[in-house]
Amino acid sequence: MDRDRRIQELSIRLRYLQDIFLGEHNPDVELLTTRFEELCARVSDLSADEAARQIKTLEELFGFLERKLERQLSPMHKVRIVRHPQRICLKDILENVYDNYTEIGGQDEYSIDPSMLIARAYITRKRGKKTYHQPVMVIGQEKGHGQEFRNGGSVKPWGNAKALHYMKVAETEGIPIHTYIFTPGSYPIEDYPGAAQQIARNLYEMAGLKVPIVAVISEGGSGGAEAIGLADTRIMMSHGYYSVISPEGAAAIEGRLKEGERATPELIARCAEALKITADDNRAMGYVDWVIHEPELGARPEHYAFFRKLRKAVIASTDEIVLEVSNLRLFRSWALKRHRGSDVLDVYVRWSLDAAAQQRLLWRRYKKYRRMAQQAYLEERYFFKKAVTQVADALAGVYSYLRYELLGRHQKKVTELAEDVHAEMQVVMSRPARWWKRLKETLGLKPEAAAGLVALSAWDEGRGQDGWRYVSPQAKHDRAIPCPRARTNGCLDQWAPDLFGDFAGVCRFCGHHFPMEYQWYLHNVFDPGSITEFFADVESTNPLKFPGFDERLAEAKKKTGHKSACMTFEARIEGIPLMVAMLMAAFRGGSVGAAEGEKFIRAIERARRKQLPFLAYVHGTAGIRIQEGVNGVIQMPRCTLAVRRYIEAGGLYLVLYDTNSYAGPVASFLGCSPYQFAVRSANIGFAGRSVIKETTGMDIPPDYHNAYQALARGHIQGIWDRREIRANLLQSLKTMGGPKLASR
Amino acid sequence: MDVKEILRRLHASPYEEISVRAPHCGVARFAILDTGARVQGPSGTWREKPGTVIVRLEREGAVRPIEAPQGGEITFVAAHKDGTFVQAGEELARIRHFLTKEEVLHRILREALHLFPAPEKGKYYFTPDVDIKIKAKGCRSLRVEEGMELFIFSRMKRETTLRYSGPAGIVYAVYFAGGDSVDAGAPLIGVCAEHELPAIEDVVARVHGEWEEEAWAAS
Amino acid sequence: MNERHTILIANRGEIAIRIMEACRKLGHAFVAVYTEADRQSEHCVLAQQWGGALFRISSYLDANELFAVADASGATAVHPGYGFFAEDFRFARRAVQRTRKLQFIGPSWQVIRELGDKINTKRLARKLGVPTVPGSDRPITDDLEAEAMAESLFAFQEEVGVKRPVVLVKASAGGGGMGIEEVDDLGKFRAVLRRIKNYARRQFRDDGVLIEQRIFDFNHLEVQILADRTGKDPVHFGTRNCTVQSTGRQKRIEVAPGFAPTTLRYAFDARKVLDDITDYSLRIAREVRYDSVGTWEWIVSPTGQPFLMEVNTRIQVENGVSARIARIRGQGGVDLIAEQIRTGLGAPLGYTQKDIAFEGVAIEYRIIAEDPDNRFAPWVGRITRFAWQPQPWLSVHTHVPQDRPYEIPTDFDPNLALAIVWGKDLSEAKARGLEFLSQLELEGVSATGDPLRSNIAFLQRHTSDLLVF
Repeated sequence: MDRDRRIQELSIRLRYLQDIFLGEHNPDVELLTTRFEELCARVSDLSADEAARQIKTLEELFGFLERKLERQLSPMHKVRIVRHPQRICLKDILENVYDNYTEIGGQDEYSIDPSMLIARAYITRKRGKKTYHQPVMVIGQEKGHGQEFRNGGSVKPWGNAKALHYMKVAETEGIPIHTYIFTPGSYPIEDYPGAAQQIARNLYEMAGLKVPIVAVISEGGSGGAEAIGLADTRIMMSHGYYSVISPEGAAAIEGRLKEGERATPELIARCAEALKITADDNRAMGYVDWVIHEPELGARPEHYAFFRKLRKAVIASTDEIVLEVSNLRLFRSWALKRHRGSDVLDVYVRWSLDAAAQQRLLWRRYKKYRRMAQQAYLEERYFFKKAVTQVADALAGVYSYLRYELLGRHQKKVTELAEDVHAEMQVVMSRPARWWKRLKETLGLKPEAAAGLVALSAWDEGRGQDGWRYVSPQAKHDRAIPCPRARTNGCLDQWAPDLFGDFAGVCRFCGHHFPMEYQWYLHNVFDPGSITEFFADVESTNPLKFPGFDERLAEAKKKTGHKSACMTFEARIEGIPLMVAMLMAAFRGGSVGAAEGEKFIRAIERARRKQLPFLAYVHGTAGIRIQEGVNGVIQMPRCTLAVRRYIEAGGLYLVLYDTNSYAGPVASFLGCSPYQFAVRSANIGFAGRSVIKETTGMDIPPDYHNAYQALARGHIQGIWDRREIRANLLQSLKTMGGPKLASR
Repeated sequence: MDVKEILRRLHASPYEEISVRAPHCGVARFAILDTGARVQGPSGTWREKPGTVIVRLEREGAVRPIEAPQGGEITFVAAHKDGTFVQAGEELARIRHFLTKEEVLHRILREALHLFPAPEKGKYYFTPDVDIKIKAKGCRSLRVEEGMELFIFSRMKRETTLRYSGPAGIVYAVYFAGGDSVDAGAPLIGVCAEHELPAIEDVVARVHGEWEEEAWAAS
Repeated sequence: MNERHTILIANRGEIAIRIMEACRKLGHAFVAVYTEADRQSEHCVLAQQWGGALFRISSYLDANELFAVADASGATAVHPGYGFFAEDFRFARRAVQRTRKLQFIGPSWQVIRELGDKINTKRLARKLGVPTVPGSDRPITDDLEAEAMAESLFAFQEEVGVKRPVVLVKASAGGGGMGIEEVDDLGKFRAVLRRIKNYARRQFRDDGVLIEQRIFDFNHLEVQILADRTGKDPVHFGTRNCTVQSTGRQKRIEVAPGFAPTTLRYAFDARKVLDDITDYSLRIAREVRYDSVGTWEWIVSPTGQPFLMEVNTRIQVENGVSARIARIRGQGGVDLIAEQIRTGLGAPLGYTQKDIAFEGVAIEYRIIAEDPDNRFAPWVGRITRFAWQPQPWLSVHTHVPQDRPYEIPTDFDPNLALAIVWGKDLSEAKARGLEFLSQLELEGVSATGDPLRSNIAFLQRHTSDLLVF
């Protein structure tokens, strides 16, 4: 019986190896396969001892070669490891890492989303004779060893909403949150609350959660990972991956594949390599805090030693966060030192935080992410120039504080007093004035009404039909332009100079908005000559040395004359100053990488210091720049933290989507704005048509991502005509948001 | 109405000739130059994928593809006009579209049944007793005659009863579901006289059994 | 100067025929267009008969069709007629700015644009001291300002003795009678203003309003202007009175000249009013360097005060009635359409105001299949008989064939013909007009068997008191 069991185990190990090294002729795997088949063929003829001996030999060979194969693991092998049904999953962790737990997010398929698992668990620690149960909120994706209904850990929007709900519960209860990331990516559907919008909401809320958060990453697939990944400490399993996109997705983009086409395994493997998705890569880049080593070829449910290790890691991480922000500073460093030397289970650290510690926790979280990705962009760091900028910024901060906080309040009082006096005067004065008017009338001194009714009045408004200050180069061709909606709306073709010149790219018949260059907006939305650009020296680069990307980046820079896809500037509308970050579709599809994120953060920080309203004008964004890998993805939490800090400081954060806005940016720092608008004919979404088809098998209607659909789903707050952006922005500045704006 | 006659007629020419004309002036460039070519109509869940391009019309720098409105076989193409300026309304091609079973049945029923149209846009329901009868025994159990209270018409939550008008007979087909919004003029029910019922049923059965669709015509 | 052009006639019906006639007269080739609905129109028959090219297009309103046909037929100029693209500055601009240029027979696009904007025209008039309707000359967005304007308009009307003062509130971006309301009581002004502003904001995305005096019982007069491409020395071809209109403010009878001071008595100096509006019109034409035919529309109050309403930068339906009484250097048979084409293609005018004289009175009747007793509802059907007695004093312009039945297309107004009657004085013109109307044979039947309805009785009824004010 023992013999059969051992052979069975070997067969499982062999199958696992075959799965991981699928499609390659690995001599070691082939050797093991041959040996195993030989053994199986003759084992029934052998004596029990001989069989046991031969099995043992083969087991040793397995062990030896597994160690050898471990050293050969490529990133793509690791992708196969984390996706393997034998990979540990969250249920295993709950069983083995925590001392007791209750699942609260549903039961198996009876859950609003079985791919998101939530449990209240506790960890038991003993000090001396005393036993402590320390409660934790455990949240993570459940792949369920291949259970179909778990959807591979691909979480639907409402699954992420459920996760957020229990994070808030944990905050109320004052208990730490442990999140476990086992997801290939979010389920890309737009139904309320919306894939992108819910991730954005999660990020925004996590940015301000007043309890310690520890995240453990096994499979960190882009946006889905970020939905529960904005943690104080991020631990990564050594055989996991954390990436901006699946290698298959990257290959589809790199290979410029059309819907239904498949990338070659070689291209997929090359992309997996180039994206730097392994734990070591991410540790080296600083996006995870430490790597927890797994057994050879990845942790599986029988690796009990690994669970013990993981248990220690999450406890120690939680302790450290608490100690670092706790009140007793002296004690803190002493405790931390002691803590590092001893077994975590022997000490007891209370996991609750007082109000001051909570504030320190949030500040620590902000700074942690603020410091990330600094190596992933370029900037000409002239020391003097930088110092001047910094001093000027600091002065601006002091000035705005003095002007609006200190003086502002007093000035307001003075103004109010003056208005009262003025009103009083009017009451007193109006009586004689009326009397005087009546007297004039009786004397026949009629007011000179007639002159005012027939004479030319003063009117210096910028009139005329060609009132646009910028004329698109598209208006310079002698050709007719068909409207894409002519089939249903019967629009006639329009002459390019009329359409792009006079009509601002808006179909005269159906109102369809043709895309316009970002320059059109710069010239026609903001006051003429009011634009001052900032941080123009922050430059996009190729931090992963992604093959062939240097050339494409150089081309984008040459074509646009910009150093990144994000332009940050201060401008005015009817004299009201505001700070703007603009994502330009012309530069690599408006994709967001480290430089774009850094500029966005600097711009919103500047808006906060100067108490200016902040507008994110998205002329178009295809998502996170995949060639930057996690350097790009990390901009999602980074920028969202900055947004939160700005809004909490009393700022007004407006987002305006134009043309096409998709994926990461929408699922983070854009989608978290309380005031999001779209220019007509814009598309807003999480994933494009082919990705949706690929991952969900669903065929989506042609207008699935249309702004009106987004409005109907509650993702945005309104739709603007391009020609009225200026008026609508002015209206928004007057009626919305932050009490602490300089313009108030 | 002689349904057998309709079927005989459809059998004699089981297709419809569709003329593809220039919707506007322009220089025509044909994508299909030979007769006998097979074309497809619009497809996709939302018919969002246009049919096969037959000709492209270029006018003032804009090129407009003219696609087949239905699947079928090209029986005529004005190939001699390739590369020339054509005027609005000129015939550019003809498609022989073979009727599918669905279309044949639809045509027969449209011609053979008396259709009772919705007088106004709104939601329609059968009156409760009629509804019960239909649900229990199917619509063909229902005999209607002039003046019978048959429907409840509901708009903005205000309900009025609607009487049937037309020849007496059996309700052969119901074209709406309770609670659907029905456009004015769209048929609500199709009625056939009792004595015609066997004939119609016979024809429907024959269409189902005998009508051979061109395999590609249905695709 | 005498190069031969090929002129694309971007219009249909009666005006297309008149442009063809003018082209033949001037020795230019022409290209006519038609739509499916107009297949039976006489303009198609005549185009072929007179050797012009004929193209079928999808719509008269699709500029791309017209330019495509122009290129395919080798046209060198385009005449827009009236309606359709006649006053569309973008069409005119495209004609002259496209790669293969066409001469646009009409004012330059800048002029069309400048005078096409009513507010701009009103301001231009005020700048030049030309009288305009009392009220605002720019969109008012501020409620207080609007109210002040309304208040002074009421005060002003009382002062000048208007018995029932009324103020008009119009959406400044509107037109064609949409977004206009009357206020006869200042107390109701706020509510009306709010309503119009809301309407305008919804409809035109612009809540500016114009506030003007409503003038009652006025006469509608026009001044016919012509200038060559230099825009210097524009001339006028007299005045017209177009007061007889349908309930929808569509003209039905036009008379040239605008008043008859020698025959009739007026409460004001009618001669002076005619002279004044002519001078004012020329003043504006000179200012904008007007370079084609055009019409200055005026209203004249019962006390003889003229106000400029708008400028129509096109040839008008009723151009023939002015041409009929005009003589250039003593020669009759003036053809304003031919003059428009000749000067539009670059020829100098060749005469001055001194060379133009006027003789007699002309009346133009618009014969339309409609029911004047039923709010001028159009009648649609088949014309089975259409005939009249030719007279030396009569000219009839029509696209309705006389030799075969004609189905009135439903896409357009059911205009059938224009008849111009001339007399040496008003009474002779009126008598001849009545004679023509009574002899006119017009029969038809609709699809439902109803007999044709026409406005002939309406025209007869209004002939007796023409030019009486």
